[in-house]
Amino acid sequence: MIHEAAIRFERARVVYANGAVGLAGVDLSIAPGEFVVVVGSSGAGKSTLLRAVNGLTPLTAGSVAVHGQPVPRKEGRELRQLRAQVGMIFQDFRITRRLTVMTNVLVGRVAHVPGWRAMLNLWPEADREIAFRALERVGITDKAWVRAGDLSGGQQQRVGIARALAQEPAIILADEPVASLDPVTTHQIMRDLVRINQELGITTVVNLHFLDLARRYGQRIIGLRAGEVVYDGSASTVTQNDFRHIYGRDPDAGDVLDEDAAP
Amino acid sequence: MNDVFTRPPRPARNWALIIGAVTAVTLMTWWSGRGIGFSLTELACNLPGGSRLLVESWPPEFSYFPRLLAPLLETLQIAVVGTVIGGILAVPVAVLAARNLTPGFLVWFVDRNFMNILRTLPDLFWAMLFAAAVGFGPIAGALALTVFTIAVISKLWSESLEAINMGVPEAVRASGGSWLQMLQFGAIPQALPHYVSYALYAFELNVRASMILGLVGAGGIGMVLETQRSTFEYPRVTLIVLCVLVIVLIIEQVSESIRRRLI
Repeated sequence: MIHEAAIRFERARVVYANGAVGLAGVDLSIAPGEFVVVVGSSGAGKSTLLRAVNGLTPLTAGSVAVHGQPVPRKEGRELRQLRAQVGMIFQDFRITRRLTVMTNVLVGRVAHVPGWRAMLNLWPEADREIAFRALERVGITDKAWVRAGDLSGGQQQRVGIARALAQEPAIILADEPVASLDPVTTHQIMRDLVRINQELGITTVVNLHFLDLARRYGQRIIGLRAGEVVYDGSASTVTQNDFRHIYGRDPDAGDVLDEDAAP
Repeated sequence: MNDVFTRPPRPARNWALIIGAVTAVTLMTWWSGRGIGFSLTELACNLPGGSRLLVESWPPEFSYFPRLLAPLLETLQIAVVGTVIGGILAVPVAVLAARNLTPGFLVWFVDRNFMNILRTLPDLFWAMLFAAAVGFGPIAGALALTVFTIAVISKLWSESLEAINMGVPEAVRASGGSWLQMLQFGAIPQALPHYVSYALYAFELNVRASMILGLVGAGGIGMVLETQRSTFEYPRVTLIVLCVLVIVLIIEQVSESIRRRLI
């Protein structure tokens, strides 16, 4: 092994309290700077895979490590320090609608500033600067002092991305980031993620539902089925047959965003 | 195969239940009324006595008003102090009692029971307790209302907190935020309008209660009311009741208009 992996799963298993299997023994290594798209039908374990990386869902067996450091299974300072370098973007944006865009983005700095400063909203000038630069990168600087809830869906997701960027993370996890957006906004957000990956070299793992998006924006595609990796290969060589294998059925019109683009 | 168009017959009413319930309520009322010696005929015979009291109480003795200003002001001050201190102390009590935010079962259990005890004991009990502890006067009243405010706000607000969307708090944790930061940036902003609304509601209740508290010597207009009533100065009692009525109505109108703007 020449380079240390950004994310490495070893026989990772997640079994939920209700007996559902999230991950059924995953071995996977993602290199620094990669742009990986994870596909699979719902319930295949895509979210579980991402949430295991920042410990939101702890493994029940096996291990997952970020830059060689094992992800702790218990809440605490160690896990918070690890999370500080892993940004996450959610399908439902998860921003506080009542607060300004700026405050939402500054939440990405909570692990980097002294607790009392965050508590009193006395953010250091350097951190405000980082937050502004994050907003610049997603092109909504002018909205900094607007109530986040007053923005459009696409803009709200950009606030979510800016919050992740404000962490100055080594890794970004995006859990179905475009599933609540219209097709035009979807492509804009996907291009944003690719551009950020290329410009800043942030390792990016994106869960996607649509096959054409996976093929168009991914470098590497990982297919999950029933908690297992059943496909791992380049996005340029993935075939209809591979998708059939991942989904356990023929892909149809519901699996693509643009109906005229063949799956 | 036109099953979906078939109109199902209207289900029969459960007459047994309706008749049973009406009978049960009637019997219970009859039995309770007999128990306390309640009789409509006696009530009708004694009505003139009641109306004599009303006649004696009219008109209100308006010349007495200047001497009410200081006690009325004291009543408001008792309510303000009780609401503010109680409102602040209610925050941790409510947070720890919210199932989705509490740090652990034991804390939740202890706090829930603490809340229940506060709520079960009436405000008059607390007023007497504090009057015995710190002496008769407005301090005892303010302390009693502090406890009463904690009981009101913490119960209502912990339920609002339990109903928030936990997505944002999880996003704060995913950025490396601590439990306190999760509360400050993820949970509390969502339930802040409810908090303000309940605090205003508690203030209304407190103005009303501070009149009653005076009866047991806890300061304010209630103490004047009790003195005048026991010396049969009914026109003065009428004036006091009118003053309190006007103040309570004004406060209700103001706080209602603020609350309507909040939610």
